[in-house]
This record gives sequence, structure tokens and C-alpha cells, in this order.
Amino acid sequence: MKNLKSLLGVFALVFITSCSSDNAEIDTEYPVIDITQNAFPIQCSTIQRGQTITFKASFSDNVELGSYSLDIHHNFDHHTHSTEVTTCEMEAVKKPVKPMLFINNYTIPNGVKTYEATAQITIPADVDPGDYHFMIRLTDKEGWQTLKGLSIKIL
Amino acid sequence: MKNALSTYWKYCFLLISLLVSAEVFSQNQPSEKKPEIKELEEVLISNNSAQKNKKEESLNVETVNNSFIQRNLGGSLMQSLQRLPGVKTISIGSGGSKPLIRGLSFNQVIVVENGLKHEGQQWGADHGLEIDQYAVNRVEIIKGPSSFIYGSDAVGGAVNIKPLPLPLQNTFGGSVDLTGKSNNAQFGSSINLFGRNENWFFDTRVTTMDYGDYRVPTDVVQVYSYTVPLYKNHLRNTTGKEHDFHLSTGYSGENLKSVFYFSNVHTKSGFFANAHGLEPRNVDTELHDKSSRDILMPYQQVNHLKLSNTTSFQFGNHAFEMQIGFQKNFRREWSHYVNHGYMPPIYPDDMYAPQDLERQYDKDVWSFSAKDEFRLNRHQITVGTNIITQENTIGGWSFLIPAFSQFNAGAFFYDKIELNEKWWLNGAVRYDYGTIKMKSYYDWFQSPVSENNQAQMEYLQRSQDLTKTFNSFTWSVGTNYNLENLSLKANLGSSFRMPIAKELASNGVNYHYFRFEKGNPNLDAERSYQLDLGIEWNQQNWSFQLTPFVNYFPNFIYLNPTSAHDIYYGAGNQVFEYEQSEVLRYGAEFQTRYYFLKSLSAEIGAEYLYSEQKSGSKKGYTLPFSPPPSVLFGFNYEPQIRLLKEPYFSVDYRFTVQQNNIVPPEKKTAESHVFNVAFGSKVKTGKQDISINIQIQNLFNTRYLNHTSFYRLIELPEVGRNIIVSMKIPFSFSR
Repeated sequence: MKNLKSLLGVFALVFITSCSSDNAEIDTEYPVIDITQNAFPIQCSTIQRGQTITFKASFSDNVELGSYSLDIHHNFDHHTHSTEVTTCEMEAVKKPVKPMLFINNYTIPNGVKTYEATAQITIPADVDPGDYHFMIRLTDKEGWQTLKGLSIKIL
Repeated sequence: MKNALSTYWKYCFLLISLLVSAEVFSQNQPSEKKPEIKELEEVLISNNSAQKNKKEESLNVETVNNSFIQRNLGGSLMQSLQRLPGVKTISIGSGGSKPLIRGLSFNQVIVVENGLKHEGQQWGADHGLEIDQYAVNRVEIIKGPSSFIYGSDAVGGAVNIKPLPLPLQNTFGGSVDLTGKSNNAQFGSSINLFGRNENWFFDTRVTTMDYGDYRVPTDVVQVYSYTVPLYKNHLRNTTGKEHDFHLSTGYSGENLKSVFYFSNVHTKSGFFANAHGLEPRNVDTELHDKSSRDILMPYQQVNHLKLSNTTSFQFGNHAFEMQIGFQKNFRREWSHYVNHGYMPPIYPDDMYAPQDLERQYDKDVWSFSAKDEFRLNRHQITVGTNIITQENTIGGWSFLIPAFSQFNAGAFFYDKIELNEKWWLNGAVRYDYGTIKMKSYYDWFQSPVSENNQAQMEYLQRSQDLTKTFNSFTWSVGTNYNLENLSLKANLGSSFRMPIAKELASNGVNYHYFRFEKGNPNLDAERSYQLDLGIEWNQQNWSFQLTPFVNYFPNFIYLNPTSAHDIYYGAGNQVFEYEQSEVLRYGAEFQTRYYFLKSLSAEIGAEYLYSEQKSGSKKGYTLPFSPPPSVLFGFNYEPQIRLLKEPYFSVDYRFTVQQNNIVPPEKKTAESHVFNVAFGSKVKTGKQDISINIQIQNLFNTRYLNHTSFYRLIELPEVGRNIIVSMKIPFSFSR
């Protein structure tokens, strides 16, 4: 019986110790990509070949921003839609010959909650014109990620 | 809010445990009534042995038999078992799932079938368990670290599918199982044939299953930020089929038993077409929505073959058993070629892999084990060894993990001491050695790399030749105390897990979650320490069981979402990298059943789990796939009806609390209320009884999310109302 009681003692102890754990508030919020004001490109933007464009967007997070990446790839096969509500007029499906491909990542200074992102992207003169996707991927320091997939046209 | 909620649950359990202890002391009058005999003899024997097992083993073990599976039949074995507290699944569609025991899964839970450790591609959330649930007779679930029995990987627990009982002497018979499901228009059948003369026997089974796209109570889903409309609530391309074959044959004599097992499980099933690839994809809806039964791309095809011989013999007071096994898991994932990173836009003609073969994994495993069980006074001693060697090759146009070979060997000593009628002691030690050799891999296409401001095209190296070796010593001690109605148990044990190739060397895109996963070659073997307690009360008209545990990992292996992006293969996707952190977990399961009448009973089953990372970059966060607390209320009515044998009618209501304890990229999951109804009976027909079981799962077609579902991240509700009818028709030929 004594052993029994000590066993139950251990039992109770486990629960009491487990109750004492406390942790600080953790971040569960996603960063925000704002392309409503003074932003480029936006949904259905058109870009000329041989030009250098300036990407512009406003980023914010409740704690601290992480980094972002930009990716331009062709959508000649209409493989995906965008994250936006409005749809853009699309060309007919076609086979790629020399589609433009652009992938790059960008740092954001440490410790900031808001950031006005700008980046120069050169559109080569010899790439296939047509429908493209412009992907913006933004993370915060904790690893929460927000996506924007925009439909654009290269003329 | 989160803290308040978890505190609330903690106190709930504390209160229950205190109440329960008080109850135990006030009710210490043993009941004189004998348990009622109502099961068939064979079932009774296995139930008794399960009961005996529970009284002698200090780990928490749950045993269920095939009638439990039949009554709770789900789309796959683990889905049929998730009524048990502490057992959940990570489900992929309606036909596949993997075990989630107290919040741990993947390579942290092992599955053993006929004594053979099941080796597939357990690391993938989309990789279901390749087990035919019709071929399962009895399953033992160990909710706790069991590395000392099974070696590496059994950190979180084990699902042990026991060998089929041998046919009785001079019998020849079989059975037909038929199953139909309304939600995904599934039809399944399984035919079993067995026979035995005095010593030689065979037992064979053929299973086929065919199902369509499953339906969810919604017509739009949000795949990350992309809106996807569904056609007639059908989850596009989640159809599939399964074909299985089993044969066991051998000799069973007085002192010698030798059994050959052969099984082959083949499945082909589609993935939800809009959520696979490099980004959420637009699909040809006209093509996909034409039929709900055509498996289009993307889909997976898996073949799992097992062959083994288990020979056991008695020699004096020693019982020797040895097993030689081979298994081959061959998995292919088919998907349209989508160039990403700097892959060419048009698939080259001279590629080594077919254009639509995204991935291929081929695993060959050889294993050997031997053990000797003997009695020495009050000691029941088991000594044994296992050796496993495996060879893995890869194929397809995409890369995630390299080819590798692996060798593991271990030896253990396990002692069970019967101190007296009431007290049992358990102690075990085990030593393991493991080595893993990963092979080098280069991209098949060139990517621009800038060196000194000069861009150069290069074939990037994704993985390097790398050999890692691990050693481990694990132990376990425990005790049981049994009175007439009361059993108490306590167990303290350590467990370990060798990092797998995926964790050490992955370097590619996970096409289901649109992320780039990166291995870490510096990982140590994962260790775990766990204290398990159990208290059980059994009396004629009521019973309860409470099983709390505390678990600590000094170096849990965790796939950490970073703030970086990969600009080559990952095409700008977020990088997830393997890291190790301290983890503390604790929780409990509670079960009680009360008989109002002999024919009417109510039960409550509850579970609670808390996990927290105590160090590392996600300090303060939980672990992924943490099941929220849930309570199941069940009513069971088993009246006496003429011509029917063991009729039953039951209602289950499961309340699952919201899960706000999340880690990126998870989302908070709201609470849910789900009702299931089941009824059935055996019908007397001559010598054999036909059994019929009917279930209505998700009775009210409730739209809810399951936090541990594979498709949770894309906000996909669970299966809608599903009517399941299953029937077992046994037959025998007299000889």
C-alpha cells in the first residue's frame, strides 16, 4: 500500500510540474504585401522588352520582416491563375522558345517592421513576348510566408 | 487566450486524476462477479492475452482485434484505429494515412507487420501506410518509446500488427469481405481461403479496392492565396485503387513452427490536382471533371512486397525464434514536367527518365532477427538481435533526397520479473549501431552561378558522398502493481532515432507544400526520455483508464521554416532547413465506460497533448501536426433480438477543441463537432455467422478542418457524410 501511495504521489507531481510551464507570446501573424499604392508591377501590368523595370511594393510585419524573393516565369501554358481577383486578358496557349526566367532573392535590413521594397529588373530584348507570372514571396523572421502571384504581359 | 485554454485543460486532467484516485480508494471492494463470456472462444483467448499483457507490461499498450476494425472501418488501417485515445492519423485523401501516436509520426513511429519492421518512405506526409487492413487480425499499439524492442525509430511508439492465428487442425474454409462507401463511391472486396491438415497449413487473401474522388462539404477551397472552385464538391483527382495479395504457409508441430509470409500491396491514387507542383496550379477542369474515377496526373503508384520466414522452436525451457525477411518498396510519383529553377522550358528528348516521372524511390530491405525467451526462477528473460540492411535508389526528373544505403544492428536484453502475485518489474537494455552512406548527385541541367561578378553555367551538386555512423545505448525500467480491479503501472525509458537520409541530405522542392527542403549533415541521433504512468480500474459495470506521460527530447529533429528563399532549384520558394531543438511534451489519455444496463453503456475517451520547443530558432513554438485536445462520447446499445447475434447500435460524438498552438506554416484550426452512427449484427446461418456492419460517418455532413490532415494547410475540409456498409461472409468446407 505504501508503494501504491508513492506511485500516486509521482503521478500527482507530474501534473503539478507540467502545470508550471509558461511561455512568452509567440508570433503567429503573417507578413503583409501591399501593392495597392505606388507599386509596380500590379495585376495585368505590361512590360516592354529591352527595358529595365523597377519593382515597388510595401511590406509590413507585426514583429520583424525576413526576406523576399521575386520570380518571373512564363505562363504560356496557362498553368496557373493569380492570387488576385481580377483576371487579365490572355494570349492563346503557345510553346516556349526562349522564355524569360528571372529568380532572385533580396535581403531586408534587420529589425524592421515596415519596408518599401524596390528592385531593378532588366528585361532582355530577345525573350519570348507573352503572358508571364510575377511572383512575390515575403517571409518574416519567424518563417511565416505570404505570396502574391501576378499575371503580367511582356510585349 | 492560448495559455488560458491550455491551463484549463491541464486542470481538467489534474482534477480527473485526483477524483479518480479518490474513487479508487473508496471503491476498493473487489467485485465478485465473473466477466461475462459472450465472445467466440478464439476472440476470448486473444482478449485474455491482451489483458494479461496489460497487467505485465509497464508500457501503455492498446490491443484491438478485427471486429473493432470492422465496426470502425475507415479508408485505411490507421483511419479505422483513430477512435482510440492518443491515436490519430495524418490522412492523405480517403484511401491513405499514416499513424500519429501522441503527436508523433513519420519515422518516429514504427509499424511492424508479422514481426517485420515495415520500411516504406515514411518521411513523406503524402505517403500512406502500405498495409491491407482486411489482412489485419490483431493490432497492438504501444503509446510510448519502444526502441529497446524495435531499435531506431520507435521513439514515439509502435503499431504492431500481429501474425494471423493459425487455422485449426483439419479445417478448410475462408471468408468474403465486402465493403461499400457512399462518399467516394468505393467498392472493396477481400477473399480469404485457409486450410490445414494436422501440421501443414496455408492462409491466403486477395483484396481489391476501387474508389472515386471524395466529396467535401464545400465548393471552393483556398490553396494558399489561390481560389480553387470544386466541381460538385468533388476533390479533383483523389480517386484511387488498391490490389493486394497475401499468402502464409508453413508447418506447425509440437516443438517447431515455421511460417513463410508473402504479401504484395499495390496502390495507385491521385493527388488533389490543384495543389501539386511548384505553385498552386490551374488544371484542365474539363478533363478532370469529366469523370470522378479516372486517375490523372498528378498521381502516385506504390508497390510494397514482403517476403519472410519466421521459425520458432522449443528447446528445454527456451523458446527460440528467428526471422529472415526481405521487402521492396517501389514508389513512383507522376506529374507533368514543370520546369523550375533553370530547367529547360521544353523537356529534353534524351533524358534518362520519362517526361512525367517526377520522382521514383526504390527501396530494398533485408533483415534478420533472432531471439531467445526463457524462464529463470522468477525472471522471464528475452535476449535478441536484429540486423537490417537497405539499399535505396532514386529516379525521375526531380530531386529531393539522394540514393543511399544503410546498415543497422542491435542487441537487447529484456527481463520481466514476477516479484509476487501483485508486483511485476520490467527492465531492458539495448545497444544499437547504424551507418548511412549517401551518394552524390548533380543536377541534369545547368544553372548560372556568379563568381567574381562573372556568370557561369554549371551543373550544381545537390548532394555529396557522405557517410555517417551512429551508436546508441537505450534502456527502460518499469513496474506494475495489480489488484483484483485495480492496476497501476509506471515506466521510465529512453529511446533513440538515427537521422534519415531526408533529414541529413535533402535538397529540393516539396511539391505538395511549395517549399524548398534542405537537409543538415551535422544532425545527431535523436534521443528521447519518457515517463509513462497508467492507472486502470475494472469492475463489472464500470471501468476507467488514465495514462499520463511526460516526454523530453534533448535534440528533436525539426524541419524549421527559415526566412530565406532558394533561387535555384527552389525557384524563389521558402527554404525549410532541418535543425535540432530541445522539446518537452506531456499529455494524457482517459477512457471510461459505464454500463447502465447489461445492454446499454456509455463511454468517454479523451486525450490531451502539449508540446513545446525549449530551444532553437522556434523556441516557444509547438511541433507541427500537434493534435488538439478532443473528447469522444459514445453510447452503445446491445439488445437481445431473436435470430440476431450480438446486434449493436452506437452513437459517437467527438468534440475537438480548437488548436491555436501552431508553428509556421500551420494555421489555427477551429473546434469541431462530429457525429458518427454505427449499427450491425451477426446473422445466424448454419454453422457460420454472417456479420453486417453499417456506419454513417459525419452524420450531419459537417464542414470542419482536421488539424493533422495532410490537406489542412490548403484549408481543405474533411470528408463529408459517408455511409459505409461492410459484410463478412465466412464459409467452411467440412473434411
